[in-house]
Amino acid sequence: MRGPLLAAAGGAMGGAGGPLARTIRAKLTAALQPTHLEVRDDSPQHGGPPGAETHFGVLVVSVRFAGLPPLQRHRLVHEALRAELAGPLHALQVTARTPEQWQSDPRAPPAPPCLGGSKREQRRGAGEEAPGQQ
Amino acid sequence: MLIGGFLRLCGGSSPAARRAVRQWAGVRARCGGAGGGTMSAAVRTGWRIGAAAAAALRGRAGRPLSQAAGEGGGAEGGGGGGGGSGSREAVERLVREHPVVVFMKGSPAQPLCGFSNAVVQILRLHGVEDYRAHDVLQDPDLRQGIKDYSNWPTIPQVYLNGEFVGGCDILLQMHQNGDLVEELKKLGIRSALLDAEKDQEKK
Repeated sequence: MRGPLLAAAGGAMGGAGGPLARTIRAKLTAALQPTHLEVRDDSPQHGGPPGAETHFGVLVVSVRFAGLPPLQRHRLVHEALRAELAGPLHALQVTARTPEQWQSDPRAPPAPPCLGGSKREQRRGAGEEAPGQQ
Repeated sequence: MLIGGFLRLCGGSSPAARRAVRQWAGVRARCGGAGGGTMSAAVRTGWRIGAAAAAALRGRAGRPLSQAAGEGGGAEGGGGGGGGSGSREAVERLVREHPVVVFMKGSPAQPLCGFSNAVVQILRLHGVEDYRAHDVLQDPDLRQGIKDYSNWPTIPQVYLNGEFVGGCDILLQMHQNGDLVEELKKLGIRSALLDAEKDQEKK
């Protein structure tokens, strides 16, 4: 995955990444017991100020996903991060695989390019500054 | 599939940005001109017709398309409770008004979010140009209402035949594993990629 990788498998509570990154890692670990977990902070690509933690991508490999279609897998991830998604976490790209799937295809798609979002709308129009929102 | 340079592209819906998204989606574009990056005349015409229809609807009702469809709702602030554009009833009407309905940021002609743009580009690759797109940036009530309706926290959201199928990640997955072609077929929509495959088989 491109972008700063903030976690690797093993569950080490490292200091890498900001507070939201650590929270995401901890909650996903607790909820899904992943065999492999990557948390990627894409916020710098979306024009926020330095240190803003708003856009993340997660790669979660877990046996909990077995037998579940993608929609249900993503819902499990969202459930684990419900509070964050209701708050500062503005965008979340999710890749959810079983260990077998990850083994046969150990690649994850990167985030699509930023197109400015609501900040761009406002720059064109009202000129009112507002934080990026879901 | 991993293309390093495109992550630095933040240039809106320029031909380069569109090409980057197609590369990211991992599929060669066969629509329109060779080499990708430009829309064919047919696709452009199709979008203009759709855009003109949407503009006509807006003109008639004096409101964005999404609110026009939710007519009768007071559209007074206050979120999804009492019949506004974000209410369950209003959203239900929107997701059922066409086989393919997308809630996004910006419009298909000008997406304002990379994830929303990806949905538009994937649909375009399949030749799906006739669908309903609702810009949640124009309507805060709808923006919240659609999340409540699907119990899904982010935009874009794709509905096929009134049923929520997922966001950008899931649509990409469906595109890559062939599920999207199948789902479109169930809706009576023939994916353009089927014709592309057929052409290749003939050669």
